[in-house]
Amino acid sequence: MAAANIFRSAFGGLLRRSTTYRTSVTCRLSTVALQQKFSTIKAAVKIYKSQALQNGNEKHGIRKYSGGPPLTLDLIKSRVLLVLQLYDKINPEQLTVDSHFMNDLGLDSLDHVEVIMAMEDEFGFEIPDGDAERLVRPKDIVQYIADKEDIYE
Amino acid sequence: MAQPHRKAVLNLYKTLLYLGRDWPQGFDLFRKRLHKVFSKNSEETDPQKIQIMVKHGEFVVKEIEALYKLKKYRAMKRRYYDDN
Repeated sequence: MAAANIFRSAFGGLLRRSTTYRTSVTCRLSTVALQQKFSTIKAAVKIYKSQALQNGNEKHGIRKYSGGPPLTLDLIKSRVLLVLQLYDKINPEQLTVDSHFMNDLGLDSLDHVEVIMAMEDEFGFEIPDGDAERLVRPKDIVQYIADKEDIYE
Repeated sequence: MAQPHRKAVLNLYKTLLYLGRDWPQGFDLFRKRLHKVFSKNSEETDPQKIQIMVKHGEFVVKEIEALYKLKKYRAMKRRYYDDN
């Protein structure tokens, strides 16, 4: 945002001048203006580049408003575990990636349905009943979501 | 262990949970009660009785939908005719 403003102010004078004068004099005027403005533009570009570097992933200065950060296996795992920790019937201390929902954590099949629903909410797609039955450990859920989102590492 | 109605029951539970999100007294209360009701009958093994219960559950789903429609209708009516 700030970078766009710097650009606009840098080019602003230039654009206005070149549209108002249309004679041959303007050519010279605009070149003079360009020379004057050149240092400003250079400075603006420098600031812009340094900002992009600070932000890291904004390589081309394009912000993607719709997509979040790309999913990785670690990110999926931490999100799955967070959802499970927030679920009131699971003891967060007993929870590990390999713990079985029914045998280790003491959930019944109804709670399992709730867990799957929470996962659907978290990751924004529907898990069919047939697949949901096989997801009995957090590890399975992570693997299933990674398969669905095409993440291989 | 053959559980012919397992899928139907779990499906019903899921449908009811989705409906319960807009429950006027809050989702948590609805969830607890729903779980209690379902686990109360979890020992039932007679397929016919289970089928009757699932039918009843589907009836409850329709009732809840009707309740939400009524609630919406009342809210709309209150906004248009505030005096009554």
